[in-house]
Amino acid sequence: MIVTRGLTKRYGKTVAVDGLSFTVPSGVVTGFLGPNGSGKSTTMRMIMGLDVPDAGAATVNGLLYDELRWPLREVGALLDAKAFHPGRTARQHLRWLAKSNEIPGARIDEVLDIVGLTSVADQRAGKFSLGMGQRLGIAGALLGDPGVLLFDEPVNGLDPEGIRWARYLLRDLAAEGRTVLVSSHLISEMALTAERLVVIGRGTLIAETSVEDFSAQHQSEAVRVVTPTLQLMVTALSKEGVRPTVSEDGGIVVTGVPCARIGEIAARASLTLHELTPIRASLEDAFMELTSDSVEYRSRERELVPAR
Amino acid sequence: MTIAALSLPATTPAAREGRVGFRQAVAAEVSKLASLRSTKLLLGITVLGTMLVTFLSTNGAAHHPRQWYQGFGWDPTNQAMAGLAIGSLALGVLGVLAISGEYGSGTMRSSLAAVPRRETLFAAKATVVGLFTLVFGEILSFVAFFFGHAILSTGVAPTAHLGQPGVLRAVVLTGAFLSLFALLGLGLGLIIRHTAGAIATFAGVTLLAPILLQTIAGHPAKYTPAIIFAQSVAAVVPQGNQLSATIGFVLMALYTVAALAVGAVVLIKRDA
Repeated sequence: MIVTRGLTKRYGKTVAVDGLSFTVPSGVVTGFLGPNGSGKSTTMRMIMGLDVPDAGAATVNGLLYDELRWPLREVGALLDAKAFHPGRTARQHLRWLAKSNEIPGARIDEVLDIVGLTSVADQRAGKFSLGMGQRLGIAGALLGDPGVLLFDEPVNGLDPEGIRWARYLLRDLAAEGRTVLVSSHLISEMALTAERLVVIGRGTLIAETSVEDFSAQHQSEAVRVVTPTLQLMVTALSKEGVRPTVSEDGGIVVTGVPCARIGEIAARASLTLHELTPIRASLEDAFMELTSDSVEYRSRERELVPAR
Repeated sequence: MTIAALSLPATTPAAREGRVGFRQAVAAEVSKLASLRSTKLLLGITVLGTMLVTFLSTNGAAHHPRQWYQGFGWDPTNQAMAGLAIGSLALGVLGVLAISGEYGSGTMRSSLAAVPRRETLFAAKATVVGLFTLVFGEILSFVAFFFGHAILSTGVAPTAHLGQPGVLRAVVLTGAFLSLFALLGLGLGLIIRHTAGAIATFAGVTLLAPILLQTIAGHPAKYTPAIIFAQSVAAVVPQGNQLSATIGFVLMALYTVAALAVGAVVLIKRDA
């Protein structure tokens, strides 16, 4: 279990993390979401003891990271792509890690097999692609067979098969009773992997909940209506107190009204319907809406100019 | 791709006795040093370079007429030790790379994940680098001495032997001095954290400083590591206005300890 209480970190005048308190339980995958610059990496580094918090604390299984007796056997982390020396082979990298925490040598071959790097184990890690480097990082995290796992963007650089493999791996690890914290930008992927969510923005907690509740709370029920008699439909809906919006492709979007009622309104006005579809806003839309105020780095909207 | 079953170790972490401490950190540092390609390269360069320069130095001095060796401070030990200057630079770079490579590659994050107590990490790294270069330096020093004297014996040059006063001390301290160069490099690497910067600083301290200080009256260059090495420690016959071997060695040891102390503080206090 990971617990943070009032975690705060400042860099000069910028407050990267501000009074962050949340709990990551065991047995489920917890997604750690937030826009760029929201403090996710800083928080994970503080959990790992790489940065010292200015206030508050982060504990793993009740202890600060440097109080753990065999750190790699209790916590496995993938924080950065390529946190290894390019001149060493994959095996050499895992070997010194194993020696540092008295992890048996046989375990090295085991984790190489789990991540699929056995065939390149004796190649210099500097030659690895991004995906292979990620796998080596995952191997390092799993080396001590730890009960707590932290992954920062684990699927970065993996192909679709690799992404799927990672998803199953994370879920299996959690199913074995481990604590799994995964930070990612890929919200749709997170929806498939995680059961709990911790959402932060500008260093503060925005939400700490289950994926289910998050989806339920932040998604509006909308219905898409396509009809040959657009204007009449709008009028009929307005009479019933419903304000639809017209979308670009000639359809109508109605929010907050169930399909059945719209169908009945149309029927009473003798209007033909071509399409009556419920739309579920995606988790991504819900997330964007929730964090829209907290986005630190936003690119400018470009106007699309038609090609000549 | 199938997922191999993850197997829990026979003992859970809580039940296992002990903790990650100095012994474990040393084992990891030995593994790291042995698996760095630059280690083998630098050691190889040191051995070959030392042999070559010792050969050139002693061969060049071996074939003068007998009278040439009288009347001035002929020091066969110093001639034979000449090649070890290569080691001073190469092992200094080895010391730098032992730490700066970790920062440059991101390995430091893995190191701190494995050994979060930074004092332990520092102590282990300094011990491994220091002991390894000490043993290597001593062996090389004796080998250079005997090799150099073998070459000198081909001519009429008077040679030294280990039983003479000051000779054994010179050979032993010279070998140990190489270890101090390596630890100095380690200290600079800890402070500067950047390979090119740390090596440049090391080269500046060892190579440039004596040159820059030449012009200042009072011969302050004799306090610089390279001059101490070449003229105080690796010498039996005193070469004019130099520090004695013992004082020179102690002074270099102080420089090294200072660099390591500052480096340790930087490692412990600053964010990784």
